[in-house]
Amino acid sequence: MTEYAIVADELSKKYCRSLKRSMLYGMVDISRNILGISSGPDILRKDEFWALDRVSLKIAEGETYGLIGPNGSGKTTFLKLINGIFWPDKGSATVYGRIGSLIQVGAGFHPMLTGGENIFVNGAILGMSRGEIKSKFKDIIDFAELDDFIDTPVKYYSSGMFVRLGFSIAVHAKPDILLVDEILSVGDINFQRKCMRKIAELKEQGVTIVLISHNLYMVEGLCDRAMCLVNGNTFAEGETVDVIKQYRDHMNRQREDPAYTGVDPINTSGDVMITDVTITDENGDIKNTFYAADKARITVKYNAVKTITDPNISIGIVRSDGLRCFVEKSRTHGFSLGTLNGEGSFNVTINKLQLLPGKYMFYFIFWDSSNSFAFARRQEDAITINAGGPGNPYESVFHPDIEWRKENA
Amino acid sequence: MSGKNRTIYYPDNCLKKGFFSTYRNIVDEIIGNRWLIFQLLKRELLSLYKQSFIGILWAFVLPLISVGTFFFLNQSGVFVQKASNIPYSVFAVFGVALWQVFSSGVIAGSASLVKAGPMIVKINFSKKSLVIASVLQSLIAFFAQVIFLIILFLAIGYDPGPDILLIIVFVIPVLFLALGLSFILSMVNGIMRDIGNVIPVFVTFLMFLTPVLYYKPDGGILKVISQVNPLYYLISFPRDMVLFGVYSEWKGYVFSVLFSIIFLSISVMVFHVTESRVAERI
Repeated sequence: MTEYAIVADELSKKYCRSLKRSMLYGMVDISRNILGISSGPDILRKDEFWALDRVSLKIAEGETYGLIGPNGSGKTTFLKLINGIFWPDKGSATVYGRIGSLIQVGAGFHPMLTGGENIFVNGAILGMSRGEIKSKFKDIIDFAELDDFIDTPVKYYSSGMFVRLGFSIAVHAKPDILLVDEILSVGDINFQRKCMRKIAELKEQGVTIVLISHNLYMVEGLCDRAMCLVNGNTFAEGETVDVIKQYRDHMNRQREDPAYTGVDPINTSGDVMITDVTITDENGDIKNTFYAADKARITVKYNAVKTITDPNISIGIVRSDGLRCFVEKSRTHGFSLGTLNGEGSFNVTINKLQLLPGKYMFYFIFWDSSNSFAFARRQEDAITINAGGPGNPYESVFHPDIEWRKENA
Repeated sequence: MSGKNRTIYYPDNCLKKGFFSTYRNIVDEIIGNRWLIFQLLKRELLSLYKQSFIGILWAFVLPLISVGTFFFLNQSGVFVQKASNIPYSVFAVFGVALWQVFSSGVIAGSASLVKAGPMIVKINFSKKSLVIASVLQSLIAFFAQVIFLIILFLAIGYDPGPDILLIIVFVIPVLFLALGLSFILSMVNGIMRDIGNVIPVFVTFLMFLTPVLYYKPDGGILKVISQVNPLYYLISFPRDMVLFGVYSEWKGYVFSVLFSIIFLSISVMVFHVTESRVAERI
């Protein structure tokens, strides 16, 4: 039988939009509780709304779980309910073991106190005993890389130092469950990596981790399973890759310009129109899902309204999070369409896509021969690369065609 | 399951347990968090005295100034004094030492939750410890004043006898009353900031209502109020006993001590029942 670390059962929380009403409701709820009567938490009063609405979830011991979703979707509220900072208004949250929370690093630091003094105070707030703090004091400082500044008041710390110290104390508090709320985005790259390693280390030690992040690649790399919240409701739950895909699709649908994926829009003269783009496999069958090692051919049809001489054509591939993976211009490749007038077409063959699993978009731009302005642009033709081969998606971008071979000594 | 502590959070969590087991929880929480209370107290004190040249000496300077003021006011005949061999300044310092445990305790205690608001909504820790640590801050100034009082006794050559050491015991019910009031006020202040604005005024008003700097009048409205004011007994009984050897109001004192204990027990329960509600509105 699976041992669970966190069980959320129809967990719900309501918030109030109006400050004055919130005060009033607060007093009413408190008065009712003092008199020993229920505050009627499952009923919405005026100006109240469900910030989290019947979210159920079971997280197994030792699992790393990702929480993703747009801003204001209830992710942090969920963590706060799990942590017991707020009471639920409906449902229940059951938690096994000691919780360490990194909802905000360095919450509780006093700016006037030195780093060392703050370690003691913050450690105590996070539930560490005196002995625990004393025995880990050195480790905390070492991990935070603050040797020279430990006797300096925290108010003179850079924001990176501040975060390092906060993170270091929290992970040394030996939690059974660690709640991490989008904190790794602060601190420089080296410290971020160190944090990731530490999280991986805790994971190996069997610590259950719940991670909120907008860095979907990090979620994909670290989390066994994930949940996507939208407007306080469970939008998707299950395998990390699936959940991320659904979230991305959802966000793409939300966009005003669905074709936009991170490349700035450019003005086009409209002298040429890209009328159709088809993506096919090597047999000429139209497809939109491929494997990393597949061959793909993209055929572009255009219609030149005016006569155009020797346009320079860009092809680009953009990952769904906006990362530009590849750009090339026809001229660099020594390819020219010559003079354009009326309809025509050309194709580009990619012998091996060599992309990692995920969603990608192709774009084409017709530039004038001096590259100073664009005639036409199109960016809406997407393909999905299926997982089907080796490759760790974390912190990597492409999938080269490699071969492993043992050599005789 | 795996022998780890299981915690369940329900709506109206506070109503899920019986009365006595809730009290046991409260006591366990406070005892279990002694080290946290100490750290929070240290945090408050360090931050109070750190960025100043004379640091902790401020704890002595401020009472010194207030005694100087009383002395001056008395010389000018503002306060009516009983005929006795005890100088007015001794009388005033004794009263103020106990009084300020109450006044600065309530002011710091009632502001404690709001002050730590950002921390409360991000970390789940014992909020009772926070209130207790804030109220205990007032003991620093108290001890400074007791030392000061002893110096004054030496200066005037008056031997108060071993009774003076009892002031350490006499301060306890005053602390209880301050703590009880802080639990309630910090919670209400967490929801409605109006309270925070009123408290300092309220405390000052209470000081003039309580015979701390003057003797209880023999008649009039102030006498009536004093008779039902537990603070009056908590401060003036110890003072009468040590300075004048008078025990006449012991009944009032016993009642006041009982009152402060009962009041604290009720208010800590109220706080316990509502602390998470405050966290979500702070």
